[in-house]
Amino acid sequence: MISRKPRKRDPEGRRLAWWLLSPSVILILAVVIGPLLFAFYLSFHEAEPMVGGINTRFVGLANYVYYFAQSDLFWPAVRVTVYFTVVSLLVELVLGIAMALVLNAKFVGRSFVRAIILLPWALPTVVNARMWEWIFAGSKFGALNGLMKVLHVFPPTYDQVWLGFDVPFESVPVLGPFLKWMGVTRALNMIIIADTWKVTPLVVLLVLAGLQTIPESLYEAATVDGAGFWRKLTRITLPLLKPVLLVVLVLRTMELFRVFDIIYIIMQYSIRVLGVLTYEVGMKFLHFGSGAALSFLVALFILGLALVYIRLFYTEEGY
Amino acid sequence: MNVPGRRRKTLLWARRITLYAAVIAIVVWTLAPVAWLAISSITPYNELISDRATHWFPRRPTFANFKVMFDLSSEVGERFVYAIRNSMIVASSVTAICLVTGTLAAYALARLPVKGKKTLVLSLMSIRMLPTIALVIPFFVLVSYVDYGFMNIGSSFHLFDTKLCLIILYTTFILGFVIWIMRGFFLTIPTELEEAARIDGCTRLQALRHVALPLCAPGLVATGILSFLLAWDEFLLALIFTRSNNAITLPLFIAELGSQYITAYDQISAAGVMAAVPPVLLALLFQRFIVQGLTSGSVKG
Repeated sequence: MISRKPRKRDPEGRRLAWWLLSPSVILILAVVIGPLLFAFYLSFHEAEPMVGGINTRFVGLANYVYYFAQSDLFWPAVRVTVYFTVVSLLVELVLGIAMALVLNAKFVGRSFVRAIILLPWALPTVVNARMWEWIFAGSKFGALNGLMKVLHVFPPTYDQVWLGFDVPFESVPVLGPFLKWMGVTRALNMIIIADTWKVTPLVVLLVLAGLQTIPESLYEAATVDGAGFWRKLTRITLPLLKPVLLVVLVLRTMELFRVFDIIYIIMQYSIRVLGVLTYEVGMKFLHFGSGAALSFLVALFILGLALVYIRLFYTEEGY
Repeated sequence: MNVPGRRRKTLLWARRITLYAAVIAIVVWTLAPVAWLAISSITPYNELISDRATHWFPRRPTFANFKVMFDLSSEVGERFVYAIRNSMIVASSVTAICLVTGTLAAYALARLPVKGKKTLVLSLMSIRMLPTIALVIPFFVLVSYVDYGFMNIGSSFHLFDTKLCLIILYTTFILGFVIWIMRGFFLTIPTELEEAARIDGCTRLQALRHVALPLCAPGLVATGILSFLLAWDEFLLALIFTRSNNAITLPLFIAELGSQYITAYDQISAAGVMAAVPPVLLALLFQRFIVQGLTSGSVKG
């Protein structure tokens, strides 16, 4: 077999490579690297808008120090973002694996079900947010309230305010105060449901692709050995899915940690995850310096995860 | 009748029933919310605000909510028509630009000798993962600098509140994505085919055009569709950089509908259904390609 590695001396290939790469490199330098460096510069300044640009004053690390030590918004935002990320991730993974296992079995109409499963994923984020906002409407018009009454979970006159700020399990000893400290509200949990509905199909697709690489013979051998469903799941399926699950885990964590759209559209500034807080500081109050510092902290965290992800990949592709 | 055989049969049936129950649960969970959106979109407003427990389906279904959206004489209609046009223009321009420049770069990174290739690929991946929020503030300041600069030299050119601005900014996250996925597709085709073409006298570019690109057609389709969906979906940058009919996109239009018109869920649903049609159609029609695109590079080995 011919080696994939290109020959060492190939000036013509090198020149062509730079011709092909230059448009992308120039674009990326102009719209990503440049602005990123500028944000880095801004994060060490106090910067306010003025006519024709901004007014900057060097403040050193003050913006970062402020968030770590003084601001009473930063750590609550970190906590609520961590809660959103961890809980969404758990629900998505459990639900995604379960759905993928079902869709991997043989049943009538499988290709149809596999096709429609993509529907939530294709729905635009904004449409998804407004759709669930309407389902969660806290009056007798709301679909979820209607459903609860039809199922006799609620009496006919009771309407739950789904997007309210009450803390779940508030009266339970340790758990209640802990959830309150994390910034958990009923609204946040409902938004997790709405977001999970939209992204689980992606997890299902990735897990399904992973399931198809597991040879059937392993299960047959296990059946002969008398293994039941649970044993096969924990001893064969999950261990062999590990590479796929790791990828899903890292990818989803990065996406979840930067959440902005769905929370801002449904709740505006009343659930301050890091994304919303950054937007509020930078774009509502126009504190460009401290906003840049905040966005850098978010980006650093996500880039840290990206490094984990790249390590997973790069070794797998055999470079 | 032998007992073990009967027990096995019952077990088989129990398993089958559980499976179908699970399938039905998945279908209901997936379709019910969308179905409710569709039903709401054809329900007149006075029926929408009635007791849900007893009133789910419209007694007088209406397309009025859809008609309003295309009624250019109403404020909402005018804004909607502009929004859908802007969304189309922005999403297709971004897709076209990123697909062309990105595919060329991806080919170079997959096939040609490039100094510091590893560093380039790694930085591309990191860029793809950079959250938009990290770039929003510098974008905002830089755009206002550019606009002020042009104003000072007496030019009426400006970036704020234009489609051009969105097109430029959207390339930040879509270009890296295109390069990353297309590189994965190029790596899956054996080099021998291109080498054979080159021995037959093709130049590298001809080999790319006549051998590699046709083989990567499914990849191009998948990448193109995914880019279009990403651009069609984008909200944060549109929220900051657009205001008027000249540039607002559909996501922004739908997000602001409720804030101006209290509980206008009939209109929100109708607009939502229409905004969902292009991506849902693309996703269902090209499902195979999309699944390929989404899983390529993320599931290997």
